Amino acid sequence: MTLVPVTYRGGIHQHDLIIDLIEDLGGYIVQKHMIAQEVVLQCFVPREDIELIRQISKPLFGEVTESPLVGTEIAVVSMSLEIHHLPHPSCDFAEYARRIGAKTNMVSPARGPGKRISTLNDEERDVINEHDIAVYAFGNFESCIEHKWPAMRRGVDVPIVVMGGPDKETLRRIIDPPADGYVGGVGRFMRRTKEAEEIGKLDEIVEEVTRVLEKKREQIAKDPLSVSPARLMEVIREQVPAIHDVTSPTPLTVQMEGLRVKLPYDTFAEPIRKIDLEDGITLADLAEVVPSRMRDYVIVKILRFSETNTVI
Amino acid sequence: MFAIEYFEVECPEPAGGAYYNQITNDVLLDHNLLKVIHKIHVYIDPEIPIFVAVGILNKVTSLVRIGDFTNVNPQEGKITLVLASETYLAPMLKILWEKYGNDHVEQPDRFTVILYNVKADSKEIEDIVVADPSESLGKDLIYALRLVAPEGFRVRREIHDKGKFTFVASEDTLTEDVDELVRKKFALMGETP
Repeated sequence: MTLVPVTYRGGIHQHDLIIDLIEDLGGYIVQKHMIAQEVVLQCFVPREDIELIRQISKPLFGEVTESPLVGTEIAVVSMSLEIHHLPHPSCDFAEYARRIGAKTNMVSPARGPGKRISTLNDEERDVINEHDIAVYAFGNFESCIEHKWPAMRRGVDVPIVVMGGPDKETLRRIIDPPADGYVGGVGRFMRRTKEAEEIGKLDEIVEEVTRVLEKKREQIAKDPLSVSPARLMEVIREQVPAIHDVTSPTPLTVQMEGLRVKLPYDTFAEPIRKIDLEDGITLADLAEVVPSRMRDYVIVKILRFSETNTVI
Repeated sequence: MFAIEYFEVECPEPAGGAYYNQITNDVLLDHNLLKVIHKIHVYIDPEIPIFVAVGILNKVTSLVRIGDFTNVNPQEGKITLVLASETYLAPMLKILWEKYGNDHVEQPDRFTVILYNVKADSKEIEDIVVADPSESLGKDLIYALRLVAPEGFRVRREIHDKGKFTFVASEDTLTEDVDELVRKKFALMGETP
């Protein structure tokens, strides 16, 4: 059974039916938003059952769309949090990606701006490495991007999509060592992205991010995870009641290869490790529980099949 | 309305220059500075790196007087000022208190100020100057140019004097030939610094 990320959008009336259906089919709901009279569910469902969900949600005027960014955590690396770089274009993209299911975090290096002076410290590097993918929002000048790229990518081992002012070919030419994806024509600008052409650019970034993530998914599929992150989320939700008291919008953030649990590491690492998944297999058997560099959160890194010889 | 007579962004990287043209325009528009600037020339070279913005301002707009934003109604024993906008309320009150004393100035609500037993006619009150917009203009302009300049350019020199402004920024220490560069950029607009 392959689970695929989808977004369900429909009216609030009888939406419990859909939630029950998804759970009965063996799917998982990653996020649920209630916006006025509308419900948006970001979930993983079995590929062969999408049609069934579509049929059942038809009388409820619900629509099901595939959204490959559900269940991913993206770091949008903005060169600074000053008005020069925010809110456009970094926040524009972060917000856009959120709408289609991704969980985006803004990461900004303390010494991001500048050509000669920009650098990444160990904390920033580690925070970026906790994500599935990093999107670097660079500026407008070729020479600056070329110069600062080696310093900004040092130690970052997640895939990187670079967006910058010069066109795609130029970016490809100047960026060395190469990045995983490039989007040209999105440098620094100081106006909101609202024209069709500008929205098109955001779509282009999403497309590029999706392409890079697909590659990562294929690579994961070759040596699958011992347990699906969405399933782990469900188990933690059942067995660690404290998670229900967390006020953060996503107390459990699903990633492609793990999970961010927004509970203090010192108190909750042991209880999380001891969670019984199935027939005496504990979470610690299938995953590493490590402290996150983001606040005092917990990161659960799921091990591969080749490391555990178990898939549940 | 695009009142700028000369607006040029010069950059060795054509694509980068086009983006900075847009940024300069957006920032000046957002800060309501387009109608204040008469000429502006921006030069950016990321290789050196240096950012230069030079220009000329329009003749400064007139002073703001009480009559510009209030309706002065003289009545027996008192003068009622009805405000159309609150923008200059605070400086106006300060001036009135100083001139006539706190006892003679009363503000019953946001848009009304009443002067009791003051020896002045309405014309005199209307002519009191409360603010000089050109004072904050220099600050606003330099602030806007800081937004236009690339953020890493933190070594700056800002001059705003006699209707002309010069803004130079770089990531490295500014070299001595900056003055020469500024002079050249002014010359492109047919002006001298």
